[in-house]
Amino acid sequence: MSGQPSNDRSYRAETSPAHGAAHPGAGPRTYLVVAAFLLAITVMEVWIFYVPALARVLVPILLILSTLKFTLVAMFYMHLKFDHTWFSYVFVGPLILAIGLAVALLWLFGLIGTTGVPHAGAG
Amino acid sequence: MADGHAASIALAAHAAPAAEARGLVSWLTTVDHKRIGLLYGTSALAFFLIAGFEALLIRLQLARPGGQLLGAQRYNELFTMHGTSMVFLALMPLSAAFFNYLIPLMIGARDVAFPRLNAFSYWVFLLGGLFLNASWLVGTPPDAGWFGYAPLTSKPFSVGPHSDFWLLGLLFLGTSSILGSLNFLVTILNLRAPGMTFLRLPLFVWTTLVTNVLILLAFPPITVALIFLMFDRFFGTPFYLPAGGGSPLLWQHLFWIFGHPEVYILILPAMGIVSEVLPAFARKPLFGYPSMVYATALIGFLGFGVWAHHMFAVGMGPIADSAFALTSMLIAIPTGIKIFNWLSTIWGGSLRFRTPFCFAVAFVAMFTIGGLSGIMHASPPVDLQQTDSYFVVAHFHYVLFGGTILALFAGIYYWFPKVTGRLLDDRLGLLHFWLMLIGFNLTFFPMHFLGLMGMPRRIYTYAPGLGWDFWNLVCTVGAVVQGFSLLVFLANVARSLRRGTPAGTDPWDGRTLEWALPSPPPAYNFAVLPTVLRRDALWLTKHPDARGPGLADLRALVTPAGPIHMPAPSSWPLLTALAMIVLIAGALLHLGVVIVGGLLTALALLAFATELVPARANHGGHADGDHEDPHVGATGLDHRKLGIWVFIGSECLFFGTLISTYVVYRGRSLQGPYPHDILNVPLITVSTFVLLMSSLTMVLGVAAIQARDVRAARRWLLATAALGGVFLAGQVYEFNHFVHEGLGLTTNLFAATFYVMVGFHGAHVTVGVIWLSALWYLLTRGRLGARDEALVDMAGLYWHFVDVVWIAIFTLVYLIQ
Repeated sequence: MSGQPSNDRSYRAETSPAHGAAHPGAGPRTYLVVAAFLLAITVMEVWIFYVPALARVLVPILLILSTLKFTLVAMFYMHLKFDHTWFSYVFVGPLILAIGLAVALLWLFGLIGTTGVPHAGAG
Repeated sequence: MADGHAASIALAAHAAPAAEARGLVSWLTTVDHKRIGLLYGTSALAFFLIAGFEALLIRLQLARPGGQLLGAQRYNELFTMHGTSMVFLALMPLSAAFFNYLIPLMIGARDVAFPRLNAFSYWVFLLGGLFLNASWLVGTPPDAGWFGYAPLTSKPFSVGPHSDFWLLGLLFLGTSSILGSLNFLVTILNLRAPGMTFLRLPLFVWTTLVTNVLILLAFPPITVALIFLMFDRFFGTPFYLPAGGGSPLLWQHLFWIFGHPEVYILILPAMGIVSEVLPAFARKPLFGYPSMVYATALIGFLGFGVWAHHMFAVGMGPIADSAFALTSMLIAIPTGIKIFNWLSTIWGGSLRFRTPFCFAVAFVAMFTIGGLSGIMHASPPVDLQQTDSYFVVAHFHYVLFGGTILALFAGIYYWFPKVTGRLLDDRLGLLHFWLMLIGFNLTFFPMHFLGLMGMPRRIYTYAPGLGWDFWNLVCTVGAVVQGFSLLVFLANVARSLRRGTPAGTDPWDGRTLEWALPSPPPAYNFAVLPTVLRRDALWLTKHPDARGPGLADLRALVTPAGPIHMPAPSSWPLLTALAMIVLIAGALLHLGVVIVGGLLTALALLAFATELVPARANHGGHADGDHEDPHVGATGLDHRKLGIWVFIGSECLFFGTLISTYVVYRGRSLQGPYPHDILNVPLITVSTFVLLMSSLTMVLGVAAIQARDVRAARRWLLATAALGGVFLAGQVYEFNHFVHEGLGLTTNLFAATFYVMVGFHGAHVTVGVIWLSALWYLLTRGRLGARDEALVDMAGLYWHFVDVVWIAIFTLVYLIQ
């Protein structure tokens, strides 16, 4: 009697085999491919850093490339792609909050946009 | 109706609670959530009384103009310690007492997810509180306010160890809060009884869930802020000093990014308590349960978007002021939903005006008053008149005393019978209630007038003839009345513990699962874990309606069917906390003590972490009466894996704050060397490759152990640790090179932010290397085996997170200069 799931559909959905599979993840071959991508992207980033002609677009390109690396590690090495969705919520939620707070601080200290005062936040 | 209630009482009366260990040692080594709850409760009440006495001294000083009881310095110390103690040592731990005692009972669990970590959180809290109050004994208590604004707390203006006690104490206490929250979050997510879906949870469990999410996300920013302050005070960095390019506003932003969610951390548990008490005494279900859940979640979410309403007077600009004013007004909406739902719960109910109900109703009224003055503060032009005046003091005491404290007393009176088996005397309880309510309003309502008449905060005396004399005297009389009310409460507790009326199982005809168990419940809580069929499960089982009962079998909850495995006591939580306090105190004493404390802490943590590792690997799996694997909840997820993800989520805020500060402060150094002068991109590119490859070896190690290939797993773990070591060697080389090039820790703002951020990342890598090395060793010695993949998986997740943080640092620091 104890430990028996109820007939409630939403409860069974939480405990269905699709959630929390025993050994989520890809195989070693996939991990090697991801590693190759990570190295290639890093090489690209450093190459862009040294090309003066790309100085104007350096920041957006680097942010995109590093986001790509971040996502590859999170999805494949940290298994978020294959694992229970709760783990994604628990990671992505705070991540979004952290980025939001960072952007807010940049705004409040006058580094992006305007708060309506010159040199806003200067101490 | 009465039959169902009587049936639950009769069943529980036949249950035989297991004999519990007695004596001091049993309390020092307990990992039982109920005992830990009692420890939190009694400790927090003691700190509450101390902080209350501090407030009484403040009021005695201000009773008359030109008061001579206290000098200015002592007055500053008293209001600082009163505020700090009330927030961190009284209200938060009192809420933690309720979480600890009730959450496993309400969700139908045997204990929390991590019992030893739970005990550790308590001992860290107690020792942190004692450390903070030890400052009185050496004559240097904190004196810069509970909010510790820089540069007042910076070395030029705060020379003695006052602020050192404060920042070190809060850093230590923050550890307790974060670890406790991780525990409760995993417990609520993963240990719910079968059938206990999210929308069947008692509302107190929901408020606990959101509160602990807030703690996990709000404490890292203040941890970083305190670390910066520590570096400023101990090592001379300029994080908050304009003379070095720093900004005091950074402190304010980081403090209030924590500080505003903190006020919701303080009020949400109280709202949860009231949401349980009102329905019980109105004999009606909570009105609008789904909207209460959504309102709770919305308050938690919006709470992160309002912090700068504490800073309307600093000159952020009209756009920033307007944005935060808007969000601050928006947050009144979910709060209003709750207030109307509470009123609707009471409306038309069969009311019983017992003490818990009186406190709960008073909460609604007093909190509403405090909320109304809060809405006024949300308007910047209005706030510019009210800020730093007694109007603000009135506001926050109405929400925190009239809100949180009254609700906590409602909870104490409500659940005291379950905890002790005896009822608190209702006549004394009502006397306590009326004295407290009258005293509270006498103390704090006149503060609205005083604020509007211009009386500023934090002044130790005032001149006669300003029109403040009468109301200050009234406030002081109110404080004395409150003091008497607390004496009545203490007398009630002492009397009731000895001669109180036996409570039985269910004196209030309660609605939640704990009322099905004996009073007090046995160590194992439920003989058989319940199967929940509906919301308000116990109530509907006692008083079934047309849709049937709420529980599958009430009798099974209290009738033991066989032996039940419970976690063994442990002394390592206390010993580890003691080692850590030596480390913390050493910062005020001598470097040698820091080193000794650090070594003791490292050893204690190692012993703590490996305490449960068997002499030989467990190849047969572990079974108890309820689950095949005690680490796996009814959701099928491993507690430990969920726990490490929750920790990683919290770390996102920690590193996010460090990295944000680096970016905010970029370009503000007053002198070189600057980043482009000194950063060695080729060297660090190689380091980055090394760390990325360590992530590959780590994931191959996890894949190997999942494939039951222990030998391969050991190889990959060793490779990962080795690569981590190479990365660290590169960092050491880089730091050494920088110092030789003239970039020391205090050289400029770039140096301070760089060394602290990259240094903390390096510290995390170091912890990872030690962790992996320990795993490799235990696998090699055969103490861990193929079935311990969860432990390797946890280490892997931590390691990959450290890697992705480096991806961000490499880009933002080295490539975007």
